[in-house]
Amino acid sequence: MAEKLVEVKNLKTYFYVEEGVVKAVDGVDFEIYPGETLGVVGESGCGKSVTSLSIMRLVESPPGRIEAGEINFGGRDLTKIPEKEMRKIRGNDISMIFQEPMTSLNPVYTVGDQIMEAIILHKQVDRKEARRQAIDMLTKVGIPLPEQRVDEYPHQLSGGMRQRVMIAMALSCDPQLLIADEPTTALDVTIQAQILELMNSLKESYGMSIMMITHDLGVIAEVSDRVAVMYAGKVVEYTDVNTLFEDPKHPYTWGLMNSIPKLDKDVDRLEAIPGSVPSPLNFPDGCKFNTRCPLAEGKCYDQEPPLEDADGNHMVRCWRYKDLEEIKKRGERIYEDRGVQK
Amino acid sequence: MAENLLEVNNLKKYFPVKAGIFKRTVDYVKAVDDISFAVKKGETLGLVGESGCGKSTTGRTILRLLEATAGEVIFEGKSVMDLDKKDLRAIRRDMQIIFQDPYASLNPRMTVADIVGEPLIIHKLVENKEEKNERVKEILENVGMGEEYMNRYPHEFSGGQRQRIGVARALAVDPKLIIADEPVSALDVSVQAQVINLLQDLQKEFGLTYLFIAHDLSVVKHISDRVAVMYLGKIVELTDKKELFKNPIHPYTQSLLSAIPEADPRKKKDRIILEGDVPSPVDPPSGCRFHPRCPKAFDPCPKVEPEFKEYGAEHFVACHLLDK
Ligand SMILES: Nc1ncnc2c1ncn2[C@@H]1O[C@H](COP(=O)(O)OP(=O)(O)OP(=O)(O)O)[C@@H](O)[C@H]1O
Ligand SMILES: Nc1ncnc2c1ncn2[C@@H]1O[C@H](COP(=O)(O)OP(=O)(O)OP(=O)(O)O)[C@@H](O)[C@H]1O
Ligand code: SF4
Ligand code: SF4
Ligand SMILES: [Mg+2]
Ligand SMILES: [Mg+2]
Repeated sequence: MAEKLVEVKNLKTYFYVEEGVVKAVDGVDFEIYPGETLGVVGESGCGKSVTSLSIMRLVESPPGRIEAGEINFGGRDLTKIPEKEMRKIRGNDISMIFQEPMTSLNPVYTVGDQIMEAIILHKQVDRKEARRQAIDMLTKVGIPLPEQRVDEYPHQLSGGMRQRVMIAMALSCDPQLLIADEPTTALDVTIQAQILELMNSLKESYGMSIMMITHDLGVIAEVSDRVAVMYAGKVVEYTDVNTLFEDPKHPYTWGLMNSIPKLDKDVDRLEAIPGSVPSPLNFPDGCKFNTRCPLAEGKCYDQEPPLEDADGNHMVRCWRYKDLEEIKKRGERIYEDRGVQK
Repeated sequence: MAENLLEVNNLKKYFPVKAGIFKRTVDYVKAVDDISFAVKKGETLGLVGESGCGKSTTGRTILRLLEATAGEVIFEGKSVMDLDKKDLRAIRRDMQIIFQDPYASLNPRMTVADIVGEPLIIHKLVENKEEKNERVKEILENVGMGEEYMNRYPHEFSGGQRQRIGVARALAVDPKLIIADEPVSALDVSVQAQVINLLQDLQKEFGLTYLFIAHDLSVVKHISDRVAVMYLGKIVELTDKKELFKNPIHPYTQSLLSAIPEADPRKKKDRIILEGDVPSPVDPPSGCRFHPRCPKAFDPCPKVEPEFKEYGAEHFVACHLLDK
């Protein structure tokens, strides 16, 4: 495979709050290659946003702090470089779009001003040229009547159009990596389909890499080349998208896939994962999934399993992934037929 | 065929848009604009559509949490619109609602026992505190929660547990119809299945009828017997769920189905990507409301509103293509 664009190694980002230490990201590893989309999927609170904010060095500090690990990008470790250099990377080489575009657009400036500001800051062009480029970007992201929209304010646009403006802003400086944190979660499905298609086509024409964060397995299947599944601050499974969906090896991934209804397959009953995500102030010892896992036993309660290569390029963090394999072969439903024993 | 528990005929709900210092009504949000459907005893009717199309307003108007602008709602043969306060209270026992947001819909200062027991007291279904607690214990058991939870407060629970409490509260008065307004949308993916399974179990056990409101078509497909698709205040298609997903007729339903990202990376879908956004319900497009976005629009579409009529057995559609 080609050279890595980003390499995240043993990243730990903690928050020091009154009640204790929130280990939001607790030893995360992954890489992103040029031109690929890495999907990051997991439930609320598992550390997806904090991982991406760590890459951008935008973690609120205090209370947050990158505690350990490396983020290698363009031959440098982003956790170590001075803020001044980081500012050059942000928006130039790496840019980010968020779930709720309204919170990241400034309501008192026109969308044109905001895109132009990014262009002027990073490309050293004059206002006239920046405006031309801004209109050009709005056209590229499919905003109708761009010459008119460029002078409108964010509140005059619909949710889908605001997200297009965010994408236009993020791409205006031709980044190598675009981090998209739940970019379509707040949108309707027909608008989501527009935005995903737009991102896919822009990825191709710009040749950039995308880190796509979502809790929706459908979106993951649609856009990713490879996928990292996160649970409680850790990557629990990591492989290419086809392998993940055909042969999920972690009990959590298996559960997630079978707990959602499918359009093309009818089941009488969904396989529900019992319980809920533990509080990060109160993670269990051993495997963090042991409070909900039907396969948990002995060692799972006191030793954390390592992220291990199961069969060439398929990483899984579970002591019993081979046993899960056997259960799957027998066609049993692991959650409905077992329940959690404690 | 099962009889209708609920009938909704030509229901309209307009919200006034006020402006100026005298707050004069200058226009109306036509949130629900002339819809008709029935819910059969024991079935689950799914109501889907995108944000703002009028799903919640429909649910609330049926329960008379909002007063209808026009039309009628008939529950067990009786018109809900004509009831006085006393009869309305009685009928509210039979029709309960579960809300989307399990965080906002439970009073944070009440214990679980009080939250679930309150409707028992309102409807005078228990004589004293002991009786109430006994009944609450039973109901909590039905939703998979032990009595140790009774004296705790909502903030001590996870989203899924709070939604169970919401379900328990709705169940307390032994209703016939439950309107579930996006009951799993605010929950984590892994927890949604718990609540869906629970709703299905309870339906079997107590013979409940559901009007299940959601924007997630896969969830609606899983839980419903029949499905109604809404667009901008109108129902555009209504039929048996198998029929709807196999043979969608309305161009909006077709594009909605094709837009869903499926959890199968090998599947390459033929997407119908719709142009533009959902228009405002204040000044909806003329003729067929979908015409500015419809890939199949033709001559009559901007001028004449299509009739909502039966296309095949029990398959209702509002689209001019059927007359072409
Ligand atoms: N500023 C902060 N102070 C304290 N804790 C924080 C802060 N930001 C995040 N956390 C905690 O870190 C953990 C991970 O949060 P993060 O936002 O990364 O989750 P997420 O996976 O993005 O979830 P979601 O799907 O809800 O967006 C959570 O437990 C969260 O409460
Ligand atoms: N009390 C109100 N006053 C004025 N307009 C309202 C009121 N309640 C709802 N509306 C409007 O009526 C329309 C329908 O709203 P409704 O909440 O029924 O949509 P919905 O289909 O439930 O959407 P969602 O999926 O976002 O919950 C929207 O345009 C909404 O802004
Ligand atoms: S390590 Fe044990 S508890 Fe953790 S996922 Fe594997 S079997 Fe379950
Ligand atoms: S009536 Fe016309 S515009 Fe409306 S859905 Fe049918 S073809 Fe499309
Ligand atoms: Mg997040
Ligand atoms: Mg609603």
